[in-house]
Amino acid sequence: MSLLEIDAVTVRFGGILALEQVSFALEAGELLGLIGPNGAGKTTMLRAITGVVAPTVGRIRLDGRDITGLSTDRRVRLGLALTHQIVRPLRAMTALDNVVCAAGHAKTASFLRALATRHSLAEERRAREFLALVGIAEFADAMPSAMPLGALKRLEVARALALSPRVLLLDEPLAGLNHVEAARLADTIVGLNRSGLSIVLIEHNLGEVLRICQRLVVLDNGSRIAAGDPQTVIADATVRAAYLGQEAGHAAA
Amino acid sequence: MGSYELSLVTLAAIYAMLALSLNLITGFCGQISLGHAAFFGAGAYAAALLSKSGGPFVAALGAGMLVAALFGLVVGLASLRVRHDFLAITTMGVGFLFLGFVRKQKALGAELGISGIPDHGLGAWGLALLAVALTVATAILSLHIRRAWAGRAFAAIADDEDTARTMGIDVVRYKLVAFVMGTAIAGLAGGVFAHFTRFIIPDAFGFTVSISILAMVIVGGIGSTWGVLVGAVMLTLLPELFRFINDYKLLIYGSLLLLVMRFAPGGLAGALAPLFRRAGTAAGGAR
Amino acid sequence: MLQLELTIQGLINGSMYALMAVGLTLVYGLLRILHVAHAGLYTLGAYIAVLIANASGSLLLGAAVAIPAVGLAGMAVYRLLYEPILDRPPYVALIASIGLFIVMEEAYRLVFGPYGETFSTPYLAGRLAIGPIGAKGAEVLMVIAAFGLLTLLALLARRTRFGVAWRATVSDPAMARSFGVDTIKVRYVNFFVASGLAASAAILVAVLNNLVEPTMGSVPSYKTLAIIVLGGLGNVAGTLAASLALGVIEAFGTIYIGHLLDRDAIAFLFLVLVLMIRPQGLFAAK
Repeated sequence: MSLLEIDAVTVRFGGILALEQVSFALEAGELLGLIGPNGAGKTTMLRAITGVVAPTVGRIRLDGRDITGLSTDRRVRLGLALTHQIVRPLRAMTALDNVVCAAGHAKTASFLRALATRHSLAEERRAREFLALVGIAEFADAMPSAMPLGALKRLEVARALALSPRVLLLDEPLAGLNHVEAARLADTIVGLNRSGLSIVLIEHNLGEVLRICQRLVVLDNGSRIAAGDPQTVIADATVRAAYLGQEAGHAAA
Repeated sequence: MGSYELSLVTLAAIYAMLALSLNLITGFCGQISLGHAAFFGAGAYAAALLSKSGGPFVAALGAGMLVAALFGLVVGLASLRVRHDFLAITTMGVGFLFLGFVRKQKALGAELGISGIPDHGLGAWGLALLAVALTVATAILSLHIRRAWAGRAFAAIADDEDTARTMGIDVVRYKLVAFVMGTAIAGLAGGVFAHFTRFIIPDAFGFTVSISILAMVIVGGIGSTWGVLVGAVMLTLLPELFRFINDYKLLIYGSLLLLVMRFAPGGLAGALAPLFRRAGTAAGGAR
Repeated sequence: MLQLELTIQGLINGSMYALMAVGLTLVYGLLRILHVAHAGLYTLGAYIAVLIANASGSLLLGAAVAIPAVGLAGMAVYRLLYEPILDRPPYVALIASIGLFIVMEEAYRLVFGPYGETFSTPYLAGRLAIGPIGAKGAEVLMVIAAFGLLTLLALLARRTRFGVAWRATVSDPAMARSFGVDTIKVRYVNFFVASGLAASAAILVAVLNNLVEPTMGSVPSYKTLAIIVLGGLGNVAGTLAASLALGVIEAFGTIYIGHLLDRDAIAFLFLVLVLMIRPQGLFAAK
């Protein structure tokens, strides 16, 4: 059984078909790249997985359990963690407290437990470990407003890791980073995957995707047009046409 | 202490409870409310009616809490639909609706309100002590929540509720709990108030009162329990102690709202925090 | 016949709401600020007009001074209060605005006394009648003025260069700026026009009731907030429809559900219901 299963998901906004019958699965331990040109439906797919948009048809299963109708926070508590493409730190807290708050997910899951529990030393220790793991230990006591974008991108990852997820969804973690920073964060992602974490990576930076992902799923115009190992997928004529078509479109505009 | 001073203590305690209860909703959970006096009123009317029908004082206070909390639950459900300034307008609308409804109900005495509310039997000292004890309990609850994991979850929701969701926090439940807790305490304050004055009219729970409670929270420092406590006691007592201020009470409340929002959104607590900041306790300050 | 009279009364009140609410919704459309102090400027307009009218004997002179003066006061409110706090969370400006409104009301009470001013010679008090339907002269003027001023505003917004810039700024400030629109100037003009409209509404109400009192802004202040939300914040046509609709609904409501609910609470009943069903407002685009 796959860890995360997307089963024939269709999303329709009014008359517009944003996703049509898309299926794919993430196997345990895998680093899967979800790619496609602009407007292909990647963001809509991500939102369907996290529960921000409801599929018109189709099911989404996490570890065999149907999570299609559940709220975002419920899905997160079941082991789905995500990072935001546009960073969303809690701005009134330090970087450390951002991660501590996520690390206490078992305590905040029930209000009564959250009301009865005060000690947070274990969570603080774990939070520091996650900050160190993604390489921003020196920003622990910084407020997000004082952190550079690269560090905030890593804070997103640290916070997601603190949720002890079974599946990590990364939404364009490399976007906005320079070449060096992007390669370093990509290496961090590989490291996380090697330590056993299953990851879906949505990313525009094809170079890094091809370098680090074990398998790719390609969306175009709301449909899945290819899936498989990176070399085969990127050689696929349909995929090339989809990307080139867009390039041609850009050139024309 | 004379009866006048005792009545001031009681009144300050009632307003401190109200301000602390609004702080749970607005300061901790970030849900702005411009209609808090409606819950105060719901509690006062429920307690007054139960007392007049022969119920014991304690039961009347319980009824006030219960009715206000149920009302708060409904408004909490509304807070799930609208955010930010829309929520502010919705809660303001709820306040006006409450008043517009009560004013026309013969069973609630309409414009004339309810008079002849039975004696609580505690004496002036007893009631003052009760009000102070309830305020202290509310303050302790607030301080505890702020330090507990519930406080972190509330802070996350107040900061950015979508992000809070992605951190696994059940935003719906926490918001409802904040509204129910805050409004229940406001209802309790209403029950005490009804038995303190033994005479209530709709205007005691109008928009001006909602704004006064909000002013206490904002002047004290939104989110800061100590700041709000000081803000409430100060804003209640100053006009009473300095009679000449009384005529300018609203002018002062209005100016304070205006000036604090314009120049020091952290309120007293925010302005004083740098002076009192010790390592590790900064989280309790203004946000 | 009662129905017709109620409808007419409703439209008269609705016209007054419209004059106030259009300015509010424009401020919201431009700056995302719920400008409660608008009602304080409204009252200011009535005071200036009544004082000058009584001193000079000319209501027209009073109005001619009051409307631009209140427009300038509106610009000052923007510059001194809102501009420095635009980047704060939305509730900051809202609460500051409520604070300013309370201060203004109290200031009027302290300066002019609590009992209000009347015109030394009442204006337009006669009744006009068409068949069985009658209305006071001031009421007719209210409807005519509201329609006239708002039509003029619509024409200016559509036909002049500045009007086009204004509409562009309301719909997308960043885009407007990139086309070279002076969006700061648009804000000042916006506050000038909105406040001027509020002042004209207040003068009409003052003439109608022959009374200017410190609290005359209280009822319209929060009620017009309800109206602009119902109208789909920032949507001028929706705001007009909501203003007139609320005027009529209140007129009927006072008769038919007046025993259940205070007249001034009817607006909020609709507000809360509509927000629960359509959180984006009744006439919102999406």
